[in-house]
Amino acid sequence: MSRDFDVSPELARDIGRLSSRARIVGGAALMLCVFGAFVSPDQFLRSYLVGYMLVLGVVLGSLAILMLHQLTGGAWGLVIRRILEAAVRTVPLMALLFLPLALGVGRLYKWADPALVSGDPLLRIKSAYLNVPFFMGRAVLYFAAWYLLASLMNKYSAEQDAAGANPAAEKLQKLAGPGLLVYGGTVTFAAIDWIMSLDPHWFSTIFGILVMGGQAVSALAFVIVITVFLARRKPMCDVITPAHLHDLGKLMFAFVMLWAYFSFSQLLIIWSANLPEEIPWYLRRFNHGWQWVGLAIIVFHFALPFVLLLSRDIKRDNRRLTSIALWLLVMRCVDLFFLVAPEFSKDSFAFHWLDPMAPIGLGGVWLSSFLLQLKKRALMPVHDPHLEEALTRP
Amino acid sequence: MSGSSTPPIQPPVLDPGQTFGSVTDKISSIVLTKRTPLVWLVGFGIAFSLTMLLLYSIGYLVVKGIGIWGVNVPIGWGFDIVNFVWWIGIGHAGTLISAILLLLRQTWRNSINRFAEAMTLFAVACAGLYPVLHLGRPWLMYWLFPYPNTMGLWPQFRSPLVWDVFAVSTYASVSLLFWFVGLIPDLATLRDRSKKRFSRFTYGILAMGWRGSARHWQVYETCSLLLAGLATPLVVSVHTVVSFDFAVGLIPGWHTTIFPPYFVAGAIYSGFAMVMTLAIPLRKIYGLEGLITMRHLQNMAKVMLATGLIVAYGYMVEAFMAWYSGNPYERYMIWNRMTGPYAMGYWALIFCNVIAPQTLWFSKVRNSVPVLFAMSIIVNIGMWLERFIIVVTSLHRDFLPSSWGMYHPTAWDWSTFLGTIGLFAALLFLFVRFLPMISIFEIRQILPQAEVTEPPK
Amino acid sequence: MISKPIYGLIAEFDNPSSLVAAARSARAAGYRKLDAYTPFPVEELNDALDLHKNKLPLLVLIGGLLGCLGGYGLEYWTTVIAYPLNVGGRPLHSIPSFIPVAFETTILAAAVTAVLGMLALNGLPMPYHPVFNVERFALASRSRFFLCIEAADPKFDREGTAKFLELLGPREVSEVAE
Repeated sequence: MSRDFDVSPELARDIGRLSSRARIVGGAALMLCVFGAFVSPDQFLRSYLVGYMLVLGVVLGSLAILMLHQLTGGAWGLVIRRILEAAVRTVPLMALLFLPLALGVGRLYKWADPALVSGDPLLRIKSAYLNVPFFMGRAVLYFAAWYLLASLMNKYSAEQDAAGANPAAEKLQKLAGPGLLVYGGTVTFAAIDWIMSLDPHWFSTIFGILVMGGQAVSALAFVIVITVFLARRKPMCDVITPAHLHDLGKLMFAFVMLWAYFSFSQLLIIWSANLPEEIPWYLRRFNHGWQWVGLAIIVFHFALPFVLLLSRDIKRDNRRLTSIALWLLVMRCVDLFFLVAPEFSKDSFAFHWLDPMAPIGLGGVWLSSFLLQLKKRALMPVHDPHLEEALTRP
Repeated sequence: MSGSSTPPIQPPVLDPGQTFGSVTDKISSIVLTKRTPLVWLVGFGIAFSLTMLLLYSIGYLVVKGIGIWGVNVPIGWGFDIVNFVWWIGIGHAGTLISAILLLLRQTWRNSINRFAEAMTLFAVACAGLYPVLHLGRPWLMYWLFPYPNTMGLWPQFRSPLVWDVFAVSTYASVSLLFWFVGLIPDLATLRDRSKKRFSRFTYGILAMGWRGSARHWQVYETCSLLLAGLATPLVVSVHTVVSFDFAVGLIPGWHTTIFPPYFVAGAIYSGFAMVMTLAIPLRKIYGLEGLITMRHLQNMAKVMLATGLIVAYGYMVEAFMAWYSGNPYERYMIWNRMTGPYAMGYWALIFCNVIAPQTLWFSKVRNSVPVLFAMSIIVNIGMWLERFIIVVTSLHRDFLPSSWGMYHPTAWDWSTFLGTIGLFAALLFLFVRFLPMISIFEIRQILPQAEVTEPPK
Repeated sequence: MISKPIYGLIAEFDNPSSLVAAARSARAAGYRKLDAYTPFPVEELNDALDLHKNKLPLLVLIGGLLGCLGGYGLEYWTTVIAYPLNVGGRPLHSIPSFIPVAFETTILAAAVTAVLGMLALNGLPMPYHPVFNVERFALASRSRFFLCIEAADPKFDREGTAKFLELLGPREVSEVAE
């Protein structure tokens, strides 16, 4: 079997073409968003937050899966490793894209409004944590941690490619364990800061894990789409077999179930206890038309993918697996919308044209940058000790 | 493979040089031998005495009522629930090893899945006793099940305690089925190998005429995979429902949304610790070091480290969120845990569950059998303390200071607890004496000779 | 010469590879009523003996669905119809609260179906089977691999088949008494 996994000219052309298309579409959508920012800055920030969390989910989910694979091993991880690595190399871009949110803190979060805080005793207590300077400091810390992990994972991986030495493989493994701890800690607090604090009274201890579960779904769905895209062209068409897709499909199935499990646990516990400090968060989402969004999430983010992914044939089929993955990415966006939007429109369902525009814009611009990163390296880690296993996966 | 890179050195799953015949004889001889080792007799004797202590404690409880325990108002749940959760958590590693690791094709599980599954069954048996005893009138326990009755009453299906009845009984049934299905081919081996008429007859009846036909194996393998696929969500659901027993209520310290995943992780954590506690002496006594190797112990240590970190994450988020919530009751609850009358217990549990296991990051520690054994005991204690702290500290400070109280376990609490440990051990002793403690056919399957080499078509 | 009818002929092999090769040759030679006996599952035999996918997953799916409907139906009927009781102001039909029990009954029914279905599809328990008449067959649960061609096969011929089996390089070929 050929050992050459460099990006073929044909693939480079296709990636370039896709990248520029994504840039044009994303750029145009972002221009519209900028226009929206002038017309209604509040709405712009809300929609932007949804889109940003979606893309960030793909990036950070990739980081987690990358490190998880270092600990568990398995053929599935080697064939997607370069996709994950390219995705995490976009952390600096994500830090840049965070700027509008950082600038808009005062408009987006109630706890950042001094007038509101002074009239609310609970918020006064909470201002020890929920205040703008601390919020900014934490955000800097999160991005620093993510950047460090992303660049170390990439650096060791590049060392492994160049030298094929064992120490690089060991370094990757050694980093992965503590790295996952850092990931878990930072994502938990980022989830509290950026999403949970939209309702500064509400709290839920599972929320960090719930967001991590969502990120895993987003990242794996995205990876499946790109894997299938690569599997249609040289050199990966000789590498990816239905067995690899089957593994990825099973993993996506597991992540969808985990996400549903976390969501249901939170719902059942809060719904059953019916405490005044917790239940309002769900009451907003159970009434005034928002309940249909919730129902759609249950059916299309859980039930439908669950039933489809039970089938072995679907998991081994390029086209159908990709459709489910794309569909799940759309549903991830709806789920994030459901976490964010009802906080700003408590009495009626509200949908703004910026709501789809921001995810398209951010997604397009990010995808274009991701594809350029993907092109830079060979598509398989040629010196990984387990390469042979991955290539001969029946 | 290119010579420049080799995988990091890991000990093999099985020691080399073994054959289909040798592993079969090795494992089955433990069961089929006429001589019972002295260690077994002594161990079983102690375990049996403790089981008698359990029966005595239960008998006295039935006669006198649960007033003999330390439970009171406001601490209505004491050792009964602490031990229930502890035991059922221990059981979870067995299912995890047999089901999840089967789905993940982790063949190292084949050496330990059989006795881990047995451990599950016995732990669930011990766990199941407690809620029944704690009913106060245990002879009416069938009232828990929905059946048409003259009173026209039905269980209250919005109560997590009813969910628990379904979860635990389903768990016990499915674990039993899974374990028995796994045993069938090995029972056939014992039938074919035993010299005595009675044991040949007994094993023969249990093996149901298994003859190892390729057609049978094909359906059998499908059945195992399906059972594994069902047992995986089941094991998660069981401890989730156990956590709902607490979380669905309103009590600060119980009502928190992270409980489901954090309880499941804790269950696996304590379960793996118990597997380790049992595997280390067993492999020594029966000379099974070639089958339960360092690789197994290392892998279990890694799982313990991972689940222990999830549990630590749970403690961290619980404490942070209590502070962040700004709710005075939540804040008081966590402060009381850390500095109140049970603070010693809290910090002991943090030491056992969070601090001590961090040594498992080092491969030196993971390579030392005595240290691993000590660590497994520490985690078992830590996880018991965790349940004690959750149950007792959340209850003993009621919303109204006038209803505050303290919990003092009585001698009967301790004798019942010791008794279930005895019951668990006695069942395990019987199991290793009469059934193969390692799955023979699954070991044959992972021997290098089992690989089929075919000429390319 | 009249001899007692036999169940078939059985050949004993040392390792799974020879058994799989023998099974393939027997299929190629036109034998259809054959079975292999091994001390552990050998995946390649499914292909060598042309065993079809079994129906167990479908049965389990049906069992699981019935368990789910049965569990949820029981909760609905008892809580909403037979004995409606206001508990803490929750609706009689408390969907979130009904999920855990319905989930457990689903798993229980599916698992019971899996085990009973496996036994039924395999025709177990079956205490007697002719292959047990072969003395060395006890090794099928230890270390040896057997291929049996049944007398019911249209191509079966007591001597011809025995010769054919001998050519496959077994340790031993023996007749299986009825």
